[in-house]
Amino acid sequence: MIGHATATGNGFADRLAAIYRKMLLHPSYRLLLLLAGAPVTVIVYVAHQLLKSKSGYTRIVEETRNKLLKSGYMDELFMEAKDQLQRKHRFFEQTVSTEQTAREAKQIAARKFEETVQAQLKERLSSESGLKVTFGETYHSLAMNPFFMVLSVIIGLPMYLLMAIYANPYVKYIVERLFMAIFVIFGVAFLVFTILYISPMNPAANLLGETATAEQIATFNHLYGLDQPYLVQLWNTIKGILTFDLGKSFAGNENVTTAIANKFPVTLTLTFISTLIAVLIALPIGILSATRPNSFLDYTFMFIALLGLSIPNFWQGLIFILNFSIKLPWLPATYNPDNWLSAIMPIVVLGTGLTAAVARMTRSSTLEVIHEDYITTAKAKGLARRHVLWKHAVGNALIPIITVIGLQFGGMLGGAAVTEKVFNISGIGSYIVDKQFIPDIPSIMGGVVYTAITISIVNVIVDLLYAFFDPRIRSKMKQY
Amino acid sequence: MTNPSITKQEVQFRLKSSQEYGQASFSGIVSLALAIVLLLNSYVPSTGAFKPAVLIASLAYFVFTLLQFGVWALIRRDLIRSGAIKRSTRSLGYVLLLSLLSANIFIATSAFQLVKVKKSAAYTLAAYAWLTTVLVFAVSALNLFKPYVANGFLTGMFLLIVAAVLQLAALLLIARHADKAVLPRWMWAVAAVLLLTSVSGNLFALFLGLLLISKLRDKGHTSGSKLGEVVERLSRSSTSMLGLLFILFLLTLSITSYLTFDYGMAIANNYSLILQSPNLAYPLGTDNFGRDLFSRIVFGARISLVVGLMSTFIPVVIGGVLGAISGYYGRHTDNVIMRALDILYAIPGILLAIAIIAAFGASTVNLILALSIGAIPTYARTMRANVMLVSTLEYVQAARAFGASDSAILFKHIVPNSIAPMIVKSTLTIGTAVISTSSLSYLGLGVEPHIPEWGNILKLGSAYLETHAYTAIYPGLAIIALVLSFNFLGDGLRDALDPKLD
Repeated sequence: MIGHATATGNGFADRLAAIYRKMLLHPSYRLLLLLAGAPVTVIVYVAHQLLKSKSGYTRIVEETRNKLLKSGYMDELFMEAKDQLQRKHRFFEQTVSTEQTAREAKQIAARKFEETVQAQLKERLSSESGLKVTFGETYHSLAMNPFFMVLSVIIGLPMYLLMAIYANPYVKYIVERLFMAIFVIFGVAFLVFTILYISPMNPAANLLGETATAEQIATFNHLYGLDQPYLVQLWNTIKGILTFDLGKSFAGNENVTTAIANKFPVTLTLTFISTLIAVLIALPIGILSATRPNSFLDYTFMFIALLGLSIPNFWQGLIFILNFSIKLPWLPATYNPDNWLSAIMPIVVLGTGLTAAVARMTRSSTLEVIHEDYITTAKAKGLARRHVLWKHAVGNALIPIITVIGLQFGGMLGGAAVTEKVFNISGIGSYIVDKQFIPDIPSIMGGVVYTAITISIVNVIVDLLYAFFDPRIRSKMKQY
Repeated sequence: MTNPSITKQEVQFRLKSSQEYGQASFSGIVSLALAIVLLLNSYVPSTGAFKPAVLIASLAYFVFTLLQFGVWALIRRDLIRSGAIKRSTRSLGYVLLLSLLSANIFIATSAFQLVKVKKSAAYTLAAYAWLTTVLVFAVSALNLFKPYVANGFLTGMFLLIVAAVLQLAALLLIARHADKAVLPRWMWAVAAVLLLTSVSGNLFALFLGLLLISKLRDKGHTSGSKLGEVVERLSRSSTSMLGLLFILFLLTLSITSYLTFDYGMAIANNYSLILQSPNLAYPLGTDNFGRDLFSRIVFGARISLVVGLMSTFIPVVIGGVLGAISGYYGRHTDNVIMRALDILYAIPGILLAIAIIAAFGASTVNLILALSIGAIPTYARTMRANVMLVSTLEYVQAARAFGASDSAILFKHIVPNSIAPMIVKSTLTIGTAVISTSSLSYLGLGVEPHIPEWGNILKLGSAYLETHAYTAIYPGLAIIALVLSFNFLGDGLRDALDPKLD
């Protein structure tokens, strides 16, 4: 913002310099910027020092400081600070030693002195134009030079990429969000690995049985790298997650990533379909309830929704099997990928909680929006009820609902294990549960981390989605 | 409508603003629904006959439902005609109180509210305290039909009777005297007796005792305590009071079951009684080892409540402290804490619990820890948002100007004022914790299989789904009832504590 205002002359260089200056204000971006363009930074730094001494900036700073010191200003500040401290201690009835008071007073005085120096310097520099040289301005003056421009692009390409990202608020937001997601993914890998590493369980003994000799156990541990130090194992695991090669599972000797790749789509498809159906059912119910608050219809819907939240998945699954597979032979009790009828019950069971949560959220958020002033305005304008509801209310009520859907999707993916066990689905959840008794470390690791990665990606998408849905978030993005 | 001088809006307003009218319609509908469910269950399709016991219960429910609808119509007429309920209509509430004999607490609770014109928090609490004790007594009395009872059964039942009588006396005294601005001095004795009876786990009595004491100490100087205000607001919603009633009923039952129930019935195998259908001695039947399902569910309540409460309490404390520090200090502290918690937040609760249990083995303690760790980030986020809001208020600045230390400001001024949303959130998530507990037990990852926990009972029962479905249905109903109660209570508390309503 400031950059745009002060920019003059060569358009492109001005824009670049403005971005450069703005990034220097932000501590973490400053560090990244200076590091990414290290060769350029060195050049700019040298030029900056040269410019400063040439323009006499350093000399003026010294002059101002000495003048102030000579005038006895420092002592004056020191006495003032000491007096204030003593009065403060008397008021709070604290007893503080004289040395400590003196030390504190000295610190306060030094801080105030520096402030005054800077203030005077600023005043003087603004009166004598052409003297003020900052790091950013040195870059600006250098960027005017085409030769420097070409050279800096060659040697400092990463820096310009960073600046390009920073220049566009949307790109910047997306990149920051992705960076966070990557951080979280590494964190999850680290956390899950550490939990499994410090586990007192002994997979070798569990797998080889009671009769295994110490030698056999040592061979097993060596084979799977369990005898290596913590950091080496951690590094191997993270490398494995990134390269989709987590090695062989302890039991069954199958490739973990292949097994997960076979099972994950099943869970993901079921979860996705039930999310879709749940949202399609829950949104109209929530809106209907919100338009008739405290009516019989509203109470009934919300009671059913609360009931849906309170039913454990496995019990609901069992009751469904009892009624629709055993008593009435309508649907098969176990899941079979070739028979779509068998997917109905798992989808309904998985989606019940989400439907309930979304319906409740839709109701409360629509109710909140309906009472906003702009809805009253829209009604006062004489717009039709339907128009006000769909055009003005629902659109704005959607934002918290999207958040809930994103959160619940993650919960569903994690909680699918129970439903998968009930309907005998060979998905990722039941895979993890089957493997945990040993515990088969690579399989659990892979299952949990890949699920968490999927959830992180979904959350990124949700965040980006509502950044583009909500004009308030968009304008906030541009401001900062 | 019948009275042409008032408009439709006025009628609507009169009906909507009357607490008794809402409660009467609610209890009528719920009781009708239960009567229909009982009727359907009493019918045996294979023989075409009705089970006599269930049929009688269903008929009793129908009778009281009809009475309730009659009273509902009278209330409606009174309200439309005069805007107030007549004394004669209110006295019909005493007739409805008889529904307690058929265990119809929906009609009974609304009748308690109907008979009293001016309802105070103390009266509501006293009525619910007495109801809880009576219900626990009735359920414990079912043990009489068993071949043998626990050693402490007689003592336990005697104590329950004493508690019920004392609480009834307290209820009558409070109904007569609690509306006075200054309570008579002998109320100290009533409060002490109530506190004594709350040892059974009847927290209604505890709250009531505390309420009376605060009112006695107050001597009419202030308008009332915060607790009384919350109870009064909460009692306007029938569902949340019923939820609280069920939770405290289970709590009291699990505490008194140490005396009145025989643990042997729940865990000792008895091969002569395998898979019995529900009968008087075994009200919910027996399982595949001949163990009494009713006793098992009663003992399971203890585990479910303990695990649910603990796995909510631990993350509330840890997450609350982290969130408070994060929200108060801000900047780098905030960044470090919240980013670390973001990692925890990315793993779904159940999945994290499975990973932790995989690493440390399945046991009750590990289960509580596993569920607790996964819930920390949500509480930390809630607390952080509240603390950030409260720290900008004037009284915090005032405290700072007086030279209070950071920890004093944070824990004396900010935390007590940002705790309400945490209470609401924790109530709503205890239900989730109960579901997670039973789900993990169902997967074989939770409570040890030999302990009668609801998930474990259901897991065993699910093997007999085709032949003896009740072994899987009843524990599931218990889970749903408990979770639903917590959800209702949480919703009610949110409305009662919502600062927006002030």
